Amino acid sequence: MTERKTGVYLCSGCGIGASVDMSKLETIAKTEFKLEPKSHACLCNDDGVGLIKGDIDGGVNQVVVAACSSRVMVDRFAFEPVMTLRADLREKTTWSHPAGDEDTQMLAEDYLRMALASAPKVKAPEPWVDGDYSQRIMVLGGGVTGLTAAAQAAALGHEVLLVERSDRLGGRALEASKRLPHTPPYAQPQDNDIESLLAAVKASPHVSVKMNAVVTRTAGMPGKFAVTFADESIEHVGAIIIATGWRPYDATKLGHLGYGASPKVVTNVQMEGMLKTGSVSAKAVAFIQCAGSRDPDHLPYCSSVCCATSLKQALELIEKDPGTSCYVIYEEMRTPGVAEELYRTAQKAGVIFIKGKVKGVGADLTVTVADELVGQEVPLKGLDLVVLATGMVPNSTNPDAEASDKGPEQLIGDVDPEAPIKVAGYAGEAPADYTKRAQCTPEGGPLLNLQYRQGPHLPVLHDGFADSHYICFPYETRRTGIYTAGPVRRPMDWSEAAEDAQGAVLKAVQAVRSASAGAALHPRVGDLGYPKINLNQCTKCRRCTVECPFGAIDEDEKEYPQVNPTRCRRCGTCMGACPVRTISFDNYSVEFLTSQIKTVKIPDEFSGKPRLLLIACENDAIPALDQAAIKRHTWSAHVRVLPVRCLGSVSLLCISDALSVGYDGVMLMGCKPGDDYQCHFVKGSAMAAERLSKVGETLKSMMLEPERVVQVEASIADSDRLPTVIDDFVAQITKIGFNPFKGF
Amino acid sequence: MTNPSGSRTIMVVGGGISGITAAVEAAEAGFDVVLIEKTPTLGGRVAQMNRYFPKLCHPTCGLEINYQRIKKSKRISVYTMSTVAKVAGKTGGYTVTVKTKPRHVKPNCTACGDCAKVAETEVANPFNYGMNTVKAAYLPHGMAFPMRYVVDPSVAGTPEGEAIKAACTVGAVDLDQTEDSFDLQVGAIVWATGWRPYPAANLTAYRWSDLPNVVTNVEMERLASVDGPTKGKIVRPSDGAAPKTVALIQCAGSRDLNHLGYCSRICCLASMKHAAYVREQYADAQVDVYYIDLRAHDKLESFVQRLKRDPQVAFIKSKPSRIEAGENGNPVVCGENTLTREIYAKPYDLVVLATGMQPSVAEGEMPDLGGVDEYGFIFAEGEDISAGVAAGPLDVSMSVQSATAAACKAIRAVTTAH
Amino acid sequence: MSASPTPTGAYDLAFARWVYANVDGGDRMALCMQCGTCSGSCPIGAQMDHGPRKLFMMIRAGLKDQVLASDTIWNCVSCYNCVVRCPRKVPVTYILHDLATVALREGNAAAKASDNARFGSAFWWSAAKYGRTDERLVTAKYYWSFGLGGFIKRGMANQKIAMGMVKTKRMHIGMPHKVKGTGELAKILAKAAEIEARNHG
Ligand SMILES: Cc1cc2nc3c(=O)[nH]c(=O)nc-3n(C[C@H](O)[C@H](O)[C@H](O)COP(=O)(O)OP(=O)(O)OC[C@H]3O[C@@H](n4cnc5c(N)ncnc54)[C@H](O)[C@@H]3O)c2cc1C
Repeated sequence: MTERKTGVYLCSGCGIGASVDMSKLETIAKTEFKLEPKSHACLCNDDGVGLIKGDIDGGVNQVVVAACSSRVMVDRFAFEPVMTLRADLREKTTWSHPAGDEDTQMLAEDYLRMALASAPKVKAPEPWVDGDYSQRIMVLGGGVTGLTAAAQAAALGHEVLLVERSDRLGGRALEASKRLPHTPPYAQPQDNDIESLLAAVKASPHVSVKMNAVVTRTAGMPGKFAVTFADESIEHVGAIIIATGWRPYDATKLGHLGYGASPKVVTNVQMEGMLKTGSVSAKAVAFIQCAGSRDPDHLPYCSSVCCATSLKQALELIEKDPGTSCYVIYEEMRTPGVAEELYRTAQKAGVIFIKGKVKGVGADLTVTVADELVGQEVPLKGLDLVVLATGMVPNSTNPDAEASDKGPEQLIGDVDPEAPIKVAGYAGEAPADYTKRAQCTPEGGPLLNLQYRQGPHLPVLHDGFADSHYICFPYETRRTGIYTAGPVRRPMDWSEAAEDAQGAVLKAVQAVRSASAGAALHPRVGDLGYPKINLNQCTKCRRCTVECPFGAIDEDEKEYPQVNPTRCRRCGTCMGACPVRTISFDNYSVEFLTSQIKTVKIPDEFSGKPRLLLIACENDAIPALDQAAIKRHTWSAHVRVLPVRCLGSVSLLCISDALSVGYDGVMLMGCKPGDDYQCHFVKGSAMAAERLSKVGETLKSMMLEPERVVQVEASIADSDRLPTVIDDFVAQITKIGFNPFKGF
Repeated sequence: MTNPSGSRTIMVVGGGISGITAAVEAAEAGFDVVLIEKTPTLGGRVAQMNRYFPKLCHPTCGLEINYQRIKKSKRISVYTMSTVAKVAGKTGGYTVTVKTKPRHVKPNCTACGDCAKVAETEVANPFNYGMNTVKAAYLPHGMAFPMRYVVDPSVAGTPEGEAIKAACTVGAVDLDQTEDSFDLQVGAIVWATGWRPYPAANLTAYRWSDLPNVVTNVEMERLASVDGPTKGKIVRPSDGAAPKTVALIQCAGSRDLNHLGYCSRICCLASMKHAAYVREQYADAQVDVYYIDLRAHDKLESFVQRLKRDPQVAFIKSKPSRIEAGENGNPVVCGENTLTREIYAKPYDLVVLATGMQPSVAEGEMPDLGGVDEYGFIFAEGEDISAGVAAGPLDVSMSVQSATAAACKAIRAVTTAH
Repeated sequence: MSASPTPTGAYDLAFARWVYANVDGGDRMALCMQCGTCSGSCPIGAQMDHGPRKLFMMIRAGLKDQVLASDTIWNCVSCYNCVVRCPRKVPVTYILHDLATVALREGNAAAKASDNARFGSAFWWSAAKYGRTDERLVTAKYYWSFGLGGFIKRGMANQKIAMGMVKTKRMHIGMPHKVKGTGELAKILAKAAEIEARNHG
């Protein structure tokens, strides 16, 4: 390895020079770190950047910029492959603390020390690259979503393996009559064009199709998945798109709506088939909406497409025979977006809409409805067909496969969508009788039978759909390189599923391309570091394998952790979990953090100056603090802010180190854990909270007050609140008194 | 092809959540992207929102991640205060004429804020829909990206303008900037031009124009935001008092053949969110939701159920017919409760109109496009590639889904056009 | 015009379809989504037994007798608030007025007995006969529709008002006002009836 040559650049612009004594900072670099700093009045301008570039040309291979927050001027101070470290003298120093103040000066000095002390602990990462990577994309499921995905992935130049469980491609669309409108004027059912999609896929030389195929196991990682099938064949693929669609809710559970009592009570799926084959002869038809959906005893969610589907079916009936009487019995008519056009078409065509609850369906097909708009209970007589708009159940499991004994635990959706609202101070306290809603997990075995330490299933949400919990990142997955698309992810219609397939294709393409470059995917896109484990020190405690939010670490035969680098998303939760600090990244490690903690000058107790450590998540807490600074809010200059990738990466060792060197208090500040978590790495902040819950006893045994270490929840919009939170903590610690270990 | 080197570049028009997503997703797949945004910052409408349904998390959180992705990517060039004036050519070889408005601040701005200190003139604050003002030299908001100031053209050529210019120590203020236009060669264009709130002034029966305590849903988002005109306190605009009774009126414009013929999909859910905002701040507040059909797709149904459990949130199946001025000019909501047949006239401290989303195309300012429907949506299966609400009334996760698909389509277009 | 069919049970659509096809504006009524804007907009919505919104639902529900007996179809004051506000552009006013005509034509007892029907026919009688409405005669004719007893009772009750009107020259005594050329008027009305019969027959 070439010798490390660190260039240090101090910026006095944006008020920094007027607020702190730059010469003292220079002295620190020189005397404490034996480095020659260069100062500049506006480091981000062309001259300043040119200065740094010139030094890099002259051999500098690591850059420390002491200027503004690391969130700004990122592109100006990017000198890849040379690594840049930042010390924030602007937002978290000058802008948030009084100018010319002794404490502000100490703060600036400590921030510089933190950057300089940690610089030797990290290096520009060398990516993990190992042998061959597959650029091939496997698509599981040959319905509309899967066919579209296959065609699109092939069009982008990737080989595609299209896997279908049954003996024919096309999925449910084959049995469907017409399509919901998808092009203007959106007013009429449109032709079922599955045949042209099938033809496109069949014509593509890049798509190979595997029929009657059941996956028995999937091992490996992005770029290197090995998929075994029931026929014992093995295929190697780089990424996987799950497009297994949906199945209708089991109508035999809808006895209260007459299903089973008469063959004239059918599901909407059966109705599609009947319309397709032209075998419906009915003069009076009732469509019962929400048959199963939006019913806490069945499917608590809305299946989104049933309203429009019933309208379409009614219109098809009326088109054939304008004399047909069609009744749609609904509680809320849901035709979002331009589907409202179809609603109007159906009304114009004479479809009757009755708002109310169905009280029962008699053997003679009499449907009794509590008609809310007319205000009376009415029997609908003379019907000769009742169609139940049954909802969608996601095929996030394989109903034909046996439930795996390892399975259920991994299928538990980790958020309860109906948990009482908990936003800061919500006035409506949880009603006393609230009990967590039962989860509606689909039955069956795992789809891919993942050979992951964390189980064979795809993680699902509470309603059983294999969807992302993030609003802004619907393709976020906890099994890197494996993406779901179509109704397995969220109830959706054909057109939306086809769009979704294309989104998933792009993610799969990114996954295979990043994997072979050793680069991370979202959110730390392009990060080349990966966890390295020193097995000599490993105690096989399994915390890293259990805690990884992405299932990136398995256990080998000897029960040692085994990292699958392309599954890793670089949050560092493993590093935070490891009790013996054997896990590190080239560009992030426990030492990287503790060196910063330990380099801070701790004044003795006679100075009257406490020191507090604020370990802050760089995703939300740090931007919120920056915004507070932009607004020129101030907070105590006794606090040192240490940004981390995620609170999950914070080892308890960081905290014990801090207390043993004399910090008086430690605050962890990160995203919201639990239901509706906002942690960017799923459960990092939850893991931190769990670890912290065990710290109290240790502190007591050290004769330290447990209140010295706290975790607070911060959101990115908390810029007005956080300064007070910090100051209150300082006040509380001051009340408790100085850390007795100071100067030990 | 006029410029083969430009033909693999993807242009994304509109820098809201959809355009940002299309840009970063395409860039992260290895393609060069130019992102064109009309206003001084990226983020679009969601940057002006307080929280998202159903998680009640903050939009800036996801934007921050995306901004980091842009900052780290070497493939994305962002042009703010820019619109597309003309498009010539076809897939694989477009020449796009981009028009820019002067920001009067150059890229070397460090956002130190010295200019704002000397500015005196106050101008309407577009970030808060004009509910308050900002100095004529301003940072659009704390999370602005790019993090650069704007100098309002009104001070150019005035002594104040000169003072602003003089205050900038890095020489970033340029009062001589003028409207400009230039051509870019690109291979594909993604239209992610989003929406505007349907103008509430058109809904004359709802009296938004003359009753101060009738606000729109987008104004409600600003009232609830910490960086909004009231620092996040939801108050009655007429006198700043805490509202005790709040009405949320659905389909203000949407599903209405006199206004927007389609359903805007998100308004019911946004109103659930607004009920939560009010109930978060006021333990004694009563919120009434007026609706025709409560529309909550897929798992979002749970969000409605959560609000239904709150005894102080009531649901009234009725489209109010009008709003009248009551005592102190407070709004009185009138209509028929369709389930009880009661004809009501109920006074409220605050009424929020759930105005719908109207596509930007309907506003004009865009070149002629193929595949535009009667409402101005550039529908997904049409000739042009569209993303987000430009394609249809979508929520954020559907917008992002559509934007990721759009990036995929654009990549296919530039890779197969040769 | 054929008489409207009578439904045999709840949501027998015979009547609804007839209304869609035969009542003025009935085809658009199909688009009603029950939002309540019309009834809420109506200045006398609270006084109506059902209001237009519910009445439209009752038509679909096959409640023909109740619909034709409803006072809603008689109480519309033609302010058109509902029509301009209806999000589905249903011409509510036309529909109500035409339903009133249907009710009378089909001899619905409640319709015939309704105040507005009586007053309307008195009004029409005067307008058709004299080309103008004469307050005194219209009122007398209206009172007379209740029979002798009703006539006397109502006349007595409103005596004071009548005197007041005479005093302030709001009502005159003497020969009824009429337009010139009542013969022409009669011809015009006959032609109109002919056209109507052709269009709706
Ligand atoms: C009151 C309200 C609350 C909502 N709350 C939520 C919520 O909680 N959760 C949720 O999921 N959704 C919510 N939505 C929906 C959400 O706002 C949209 O899904 C989202 O804004 C779509 O983003 P977009 O990028 O498509 O459009 P926009 O946000 O409109 O972005 C479009 C961008 O394009 C720019 N632009 C326009 N024209 C041009 C042009 N000619 N040239 C260049 N640039 C141009 C605009 O300036 C803008 O920056 C809400 C909507 C409303 C009305």
